[in-house]
Amino acid sequence: MRTRREVLAATAAALAMPKVAFAEGEPPKPKQLIFNASGGSQIASLRENYLNDFEKETGIKIVDTSPVDFGKLRAMVESGNVSWNITEIGGQDGYRVTEMGLAEPIDAKIIDRSKFQPQAQMSHVFSPSCYSTVMCYRPDAFPKGGPKSWADFWDVKAFPGPRSMRNHPVDNLEAALIADGVTLEALYPLDVDRAFRKLDAIHKHVNVWWSTGQQPAQLLVDKEVVLATGWNGRFYDLIRKEAPLVMEWNGGILKQGSWVVPKGAKDQYWAMKTLAAMADPKRQAANAEILGYSGMHLDSNQYVAEKIRPLLPLYPDNLKKQVWLDQKWWTVNGAQIGERWNKWMLSKA
Amino acid sequence: MSNDRASTSPQQSGRLQVDAASKRFGHVAALSDVSLSVAAGEFVTILGPSGSGKTTLLKVIAGFEIADQGRVLIDQADITELDPAQRNIGMVFQNYALFPHMSVARNIAYPLAMRGTPKAEIATRVKQALDMVELGGMAERLPKQLSGGQQQRVALARATVFQPRLLLLDEPFGALDRKLREQMQIEVRRLQRRLGLTTLFITHDQEEALVMSDRIAVMDKGRVLQVGPPNEIYEAPANPFVADFIGESNIFAGVVEADGGNLLRVRLEQGPVIEVAGRADLAAHRGQRVRVMVRPERFVDLAADQNSVWANRIDGRVTDSAYIGVSDKYRVVTAEGIDVLMRLPSGPSSRRYSAGEAIAAGFHAADARLIAVQ
Amino acid sequence: MTLASTTAPVASRAWLRPGPFALTLPALLLLTLLFMLPLVRLFSLSFTGGFGWYEKALTGGLYTVILYRTFEIAGIVTFFSFVIGYPVAFLLATTTPKWRAIGFAFVMLPLWTSVLVRTYAWMVLLGRNGIINRMLIDSGLLDTPLSLLNSRLAVILGMVHVMLPFMILPIYSALTRIDPDLPTAARGLGASALRILTTIYLPLSLRGIVAGVTLVFVVSLGFYITPALLGGGKVMMYAMVIEQQVREFLAWNFAGALSVILLAVTLVMFWLLNQGVARHLRD
Repeated sequence: MRTRREVLAATAAALAMPKVAFAEGEPPKPKQLIFNASGGSQIASLRENYLNDFEKETGIKIVDTSPVDFGKLRAMVESGNVSWNITEIGGQDGYRVTEMGLAEPIDAKIIDRSKFQPQAQMSHVFSPSCYSTVMCYRPDAFPKGGPKSWADFWDVKAFPGPRSMRNHPVDNLEAALIADGVTLEALYPLDVDRAFRKLDAIHKHVNVWWSTGQQPAQLLVDKEVVLATGWNGRFYDLIRKEAPLVMEWNGGILKQGSWVVPKGAKDQYWAMKTLAAMADPKRQAANAEILGYSGMHLDSNQYVAEKIRPLLPLYPDNLKKQVWLDQKWWTVNGAQIGERWNKWMLSKA
Repeated sequence: MSNDRASTSPQQSGRLQVDAASKRFGHVAALSDVSLSVAAGEFVTILGPSGSGKTTLLKVIAGFEIADQGRVLIDQADITELDPAQRNIGMVFQNYALFPHMSVARNIAYPLAMRGTPKAEIATRVKQALDMVELGGMAERLPKQLSGGQQQRVALARATVFQPRLLLLDEPFGALDRKLREQMQIEVRRLQRRLGLTTLFITHDQEEALVMSDRIAVMDKGRVLQVGPPNEIYEAPANPFVADFIGESNIFAGVVEADGGNLLRVRLEQGPVIEVAGRADLAAHRGQRVRVMVRPERFVDLAADQNSVWANRIDGRVTDSAYIGVSDKYRVVTAEGIDVLMRLPSGPSSRRYSAGEAIAAGFHAADARLIAVQ
Repeated sequence: MTLASTTAPVASRAWLRPGPFALTLPALLLLTLLFMLPLVRLFSLSFTGGFGWYEKALTGGLYTVILYRTFEIAGIVTFFSFVIGYPVAFLLATTTPKWRAIGFAFVMLPLWTSVLVRTYAWMVLLGRNGIINRMLIDSGLLDTPLSLLNSRLAVILGMVHVMLPFMILPIYSALTRIDPDLPTAARGLGASALRILTTIYLPLSLRGIVAGVTLVFVVSLGFYITPALLGGGKVMMYAMVIEQQVREFLAWNFAGALSVILLAVTLVMFWLLNQGVARHLRD
């Protein structure tokens, strides 16, 4: 729940926002645009901060759908039957979507990214926000202080109790290597063998290998586990609702919130215009306050309420402890490691 | 062929005794104080309308129901609360209850297999049973591939193959057409005699009961009203229900005017006086109200017989007539308004009456059966 | 026969009768359109580039082991669904109408609640702070909670719970079609309760059993949500792997090959099962 003061602040920020400018001689307006996203609280915030105003100003109706599905995106593009005008994609898929030619290039004439973070400058992917895979724990399980690093996460003697990690190699290999002493700078290319060896040590202490984003936070609240990895926004939401949880940024693995206009989509101009509405730093700040995902505009952080800033991934003190996921490395190696991951899980069952 | 089987049979058919059995279902008394004895090898029919309690009696004997009071004995042994599986009683159900998933042979073998009979013996006995019911070539068929009559025989073979001490037949011919039914009646009786099986047969068909039984027990409202050989049941019904239920009858009500010796004089409600044979087991005295039954075929056309002396005479007018084949059936109404049903012999030597014609008929005092005294 | 068939119990005869084919024709056409066409497409996809995808699926251990484990879980779930479902169906078929109505409400209830809700109910029951663990700890039987949730046991419990109605309903329907005189007759002919079950009820409800077993087994093979949520990610099912190939690795040809293999193995198994049942019915 947002407090009344925050609502007031967000409203004030929205009123202060500049109107989206439209150029002369633009293509005809469609009746509606299909905007595919993750759904839930995310789309509610996107509506409140970006889409409602866009609808009002252009008269174009934004129809939101979910879930995010890379396979479906590919099927649409390859069959030439593209029903989405805009879709979100997974944070690790930005490089792959470009390589596979599934997205239209971002039109710099419509979307100004000159003051965006360097990680948000991809040719075909628009990233207005970012999130991080971090660890989160129940402080009541660790009276002498919680884990401060991936090495602590692996230290089941000092920090006993069941854990939860994602049932997926992305993030876990990074965490394992950092726990094993690899520095953030020397992380990529990943030493896969070493990572799996390190994962062997933690496997039997992982009670749940989660598969959906809301699982880890719920597992912590239910006391099913005492320590979990997860996306910072999911923990942020519960912490703001005063759940007894603590997030640790050290070793967090950052990813871009990513949006594309599918290759061959209709009404591309207006799709780019929609994305452009999401480039405004003040709007990004308002969105970040609700979802916990930092805006990628360099000015965005300064518009966030001061007490919330330390809870966001790009807050300078947090940022320096984290590392950006190497999308390119995962695009090249993902399938092969996915198979190895399955085999590894199977060998443990 | 199977005569020798019956004679070498290790277990002889049993004597059944039901002692004062009662059974209630909620408020309904299905059996009230029923007693019945069936001698070894005897064929007894339980006859009664539906709801008379005959099926309940059969279930109590078979063990599918336990009597609230009273006992069931076979050869003096009390089986009142014995499990049906332990009673060694063969039963043929109304719809045969053949196992649809088993061949004819396996159906017949079933009771033997349940008793742990050795396989070789089962094979011979099933073959004997099949021969006995003349279904030698049908062993491997499924029940649904047989005609109704054939299914009936399989059911019979299955109910007798394990040499039960008692055979129960629950309206087994209900599903058959008339001709097949008559044929099966003869076959069942022949088989029962050959095996010397004590048999209790249930039917609501009085003609079937008369044809087949050594004795008949007539039931109504949970009670046994009369037990006796068929001719006794027909000729000398003990009470109005039996008189009415079995065969056709004229029942007259009146008051005793004189009760000398073996003969009663009864003044009928409508006026006329008739002579009625007295009953040693049912005393009737002057002034008592009585009921008297006369079978329709006991009337004689006085126009065809002027020589004999008739104790009783009916004068009336034919209101309906029907030709039945063996006889002519008339409805006659007397001047006093008495309604009488008559059957007179048909044929070239007999006269036929049409509606509206006058008719005179006589009957003997012995043909007037006293059936109730109040 | 004509006479007998009008009066003999229809039920005891109908158990082998073939269904009216003509009436199902429109439904068959619709099914062909909805299911066969995508299947053909899947089939052709899986053969692009020869048998390579099949080679990958059938060698190297990973996918064959997952296939084996999937069949194992489906088999265990089917077994327990039958062991629990048959007595329940039997009670429903033989009890009074009032208890039947109450029983049916309990059987059908899970069908009307979403899989997610049912799965969450198991989490509440089996969790480390769940009802069962709390009862065991409060009663002093345990010091530390058992890991009931997030295990193969939890997956099997959850799946049996979801699948039970699919086992109970066809068996119940087969049992109610048995002429009640048949078990009575068997009893009079000397059969014990156990023999009545094995010689009368079981063979005469065999069609219902086969239908229930087939339904539960096939649906169990494709389970996805329950194993993922109750198994803590440690239980891997074939459907999860196929989904991963489609959505994550975009390896549609390979997913096609995996699907065709799952379908083929399933069909072969049921062909064998049906052969066995048909032979049994002939004997």
